[in-house]
Amino acid sequence: MIYDRQYYLDTFGVTERDIAELAAEGLRSGGDFCDLFFENTSYRDILLRDGEVSSGGFHIDYGVGIRVLCGEKTGYAYSESTDMPSMRAAARAAAAITAGVAAVGDRRTSDHRHFGRPNPAADRYPMLQDWRTADVAAQLPMLQKLESLIRAKDARVVKVIAMLSSQVSDILMYNSFEEMKYDTRPMGSLVASVVFAQDGAIENKSVSRSFRKGGEMLTDALLEELASQAVQGIDERFAARRPKGGRMPVVMGAGASGILLHEAMGHAFEADFNRKGQSVFSGRMGERICRQGITIVDDGTIRGNRGAVNFDDEGVPGQYTVMVEDGILTSYLHDRISAKYYGVAPTGNGRRESFRYNPIPRMRATYMESGEGSAEDIIASVKKGIYVDQFANGQVKIGEGDFTFYVKSGFLIEDGRLTMPVKDVNIIGNGPQALADIVAVADDLKIDDGTWTCGKEQSCPVSCGIPTVLVNNLTVGGE
Amino acid sequence: MDHTLTAQERALAARCLEIARAKGAQKARVTLNKSCMDLIGTLNGEVDKVSHCLDRSISIALFVDGKFGSFSINRLEESALEDFIDKAIATARLLEADPCRDLPDPARTARDATGGRELGLYDEACLAMDAGRRLELALGASIFKETAPGDNWTLVSEEAEYSDSVFDTLVMDTQGLSCRHTETSFEYGVEMTIQDSEGNRYSGYWWNSKPRLAELGADGICAVALERAVAQIGPQSLRSGKYRCVVDTECASRLVTPLLNALGAYAVQQNNSFLCGKLGEKVFSEGLTIMDECRRCGETGSRLFDSEGVATTEHEIVSQGIVNEYFINTYMSNKMQMPPNVEDAIRPKVKPWPKAGLDREALMRRCGEGILVTGFNGGNSNSSTGDYSFGIEGFAFKDGRITHPVREMLMTGNLIGLWNSLLAVGDDARACKSKLIPTLAFENVDISGE
Repeated sequence: MIYDRQYYLDTFGVTERDIAELAAEGLRSGGDFCDLFFENTSYRDILLRDGEVSSGGFHIDYGVGIRVLCGEKTGYAYSESTDMPSMRAAARAAAAITAGVAAVGDRRTSDHRHFGRPNPAADRYPMLQDWRTADVAAQLPMLQKLESLIRAKDARVVKVIAMLSSQVSDILMYNSFEEMKYDTRPMGSLVASVVFAQDGAIENKSVSRSFRKGGEMLTDALLEELASQAVQGIDERFAARRPKGGRMPVVMGAGASGILLHEAMGHAFEADFNRKGQSVFSGRMGERICRQGITIVDDGTIRGNRGAVNFDDEGVPGQYTVMVEDGILTSYLHDRISAKYYGVAPTGNGRRESFRYNPIPRMRATYMESGEGSAEDIIASVKKGIYVDQFANGQVKIGEGDFTFYVKSGFLIEDGRLTMPVKDVNIIGNGPQALADIVAVADDLKIDDGTWTCGKEQSCPVSCGIPTVLVNNLTVGGE
Repeated sequence: MDHTLTAQERALAARCLEIARAKGAQKARVTLNKSCMDLIGTLNGEVDKVSHCLDRSISIALFVDGKFGSFSINRLEESALEDFIDKAIATARLLEADPCRDLPDPARTARDATGGRELGLYDEACLAMDAGRRLELALGASIFKETAPGDNWTLVSEEAEYSDSVFDTLVMDTQGLSCRHTETSFEYGVEMTIQDSEGNRYSGYWWNSKPRLAELGADGICAVALERAVAQIGPQSLRSGKYRCVVDTECASRLVTPLLNALGAYAVQQNNSFLCGKLGEKVFSEGLTIMDECRRCGETGSRLFDSEGVATTEHEIVSQGIVNEYFINTYMSNKMQMPPNVEDAIRPKVKPWPKAGLDREALMRRCGEGILVTGFNGGNSNSSTGDYSFGIEGFAFKDGRITHPVREMLMTGNLIGLWNSLLAVGDDARACKSKLIPTLAFENVDISGE
């Protein structure tokens, strides 16, 4: 959502002259670049527990972050007040980077102008119903209906917790290149956590949907979809066993398995790790890193998607960035600092949790494009392996590329057929090796709309997706 | 510069309670937080980042006509607060009534935390910190420029952060509660990344954190991080099987945290805990005793009160394998019809067993042969069943001595089973952590590898 310029200036009680003066203040003692990030976020939540929507609240976060760059070095400070004396103090604190750099004798300057123009026509999240003015009383029955739908679908449900959270952030950005950008970012998330009991055994499942949309996202169809997903696969969950562990082929189901792509490969494509030589993909630009036919992208342009951005948090327009094209590494994910270092245009990946943090390269919606095979054929091609449809708690070591993922649910594959349900095991591997070991990609790309949040130093909303793929050699934990 | 709460800010908290009552709340609790952190990040022995963070926020829990809501704001002008509380009360009134919501019984609340500095966690050295001193601390510990390549590795990067922080919290409620906790923290951490002769990268991290600057001792931290990176060169996979495992104190909390989470009343009340119905039962090995040592002067993690203002106590959470308590706050007490205590383990400590004084090397000698786990990489545990599967990194050892690093290994089982196969608990927990979990040794652990 993008309102007019004056709306944002009024929200933060500043004038164009004020913010220009602050940018100048940040560069008074040196530095190449200064930017300001104003934020006013309203967050609301309501929670259903034990059949009653009896807790909720709202939270307001307001302030401005000021950054001064000296070459690749960053000075950062923020103020929770937007009166000029407080903001000047923050600008001076950020400018301390110039003294720090001088002290160690490494001062660089650059007159490079970065890419980026206002483009209101590309609004990727028009908000038809503003969460800030939505009637909370009207939202309570939605949670109650969601619980009823879930209970009606499965008699084994013993507990349901449902939560609706929403936030709207007004953002105003200005930099010393005199670029001013503004944006209003909505986000709505609906989560249901369900506990099931059967013959003394307990299982739990959590499902969610999250969109950069306003209150219009709350439809009966959404509730039905979420309730169906909440109870889907519970028979298998109760019947699931741990398989015998070892190295074997792994088929990753379309959709939420994309989190593996995010963790095990995507982070290693972020340019800050590569600039510092810490990524396993450092220095490999232009090289073949996986088979022909595999294309991996990071996309900030999907309308209403949790990872969508009109502008990133440096004011660079959101983009569709191809990281791997037909198996060749073609681009890292850049913020302004790394883009300057590599001599390329920023890719719109400079993101931050809030005005309290400086932006760093972050993913948006990361996914692999569809291939040409079918999911059925891929499963049929595996004599003995694992099919995974839900991962959780992934972790990767950027330098080594080693990753581990927890399998919430899946199946054994025996002689090309899904057989015994499996759960609570880990899959472990090495990102670049796993990428190289992808031997088949189906034509069924699915973007998952869950509440994915990336935790690289700061929290950032993202999404992920993948078609069904076959990795021919990973270690599966088990008995 | 003093960044603790001013008298004017503290008065604002009291004023919020007055406003809340005037506008219709029968009861309210206000939590006023203020923190300030200065950080210098370095890359390869040069300054890479400086940041200054000053935060203030007010959170208010409102009890209105039997209804409850929690709200927060970081704009502390009184006019903004009036409007904020007005809207908050209106929002709370829209929710359904919940008779279980209440403030804690005043008799349970802390009365010995009025000044904030009773635990001796505040160091006035923070007042004298300036840019020059911080630069000295951030750059003084670097070894990047003096580190020569090893026989089979070169140093890729040294990424470090020095920070000093002040945290100040005031909790007040309409029943007369007024508790304050003030602490400082000085921290230095570094990640060293190396590359071996075959182009493989390895990273090692080490850090220290102290409430008092004089105790920080940043020298030597980079060398330890480098040593931890170099030690990982040439990892091998092991065959799947059952192994004795020694879990280093640096990562051992990963095995204790799921137990503590399962004791939380929110999980128990939702039937989402594998420790449901286990109160008073011997569930784990007799070697497992978990204490809450939360009132130790000068020790990181100590607190005199929880977020409700309830006084903490030092006691045993698990005694020789017997579960003594769930963590039950006022709300859950009313909901579950069980006596309340403190809402969480504040500063849990696993007691050494079978004797004091054992460290990691002693535990490896006791085990003879097995796997030393020095880090967990991903994985999870099922809160309902206690089944877990964790990626591990570490070393194989034989005759009590490390033989080689291991990679792509998984540790799988059930937490109750794991804690019943406890062999020994060390006495080497690092005091800089808020969870004091020493090195642990287990037998018959399922490990998946080749």
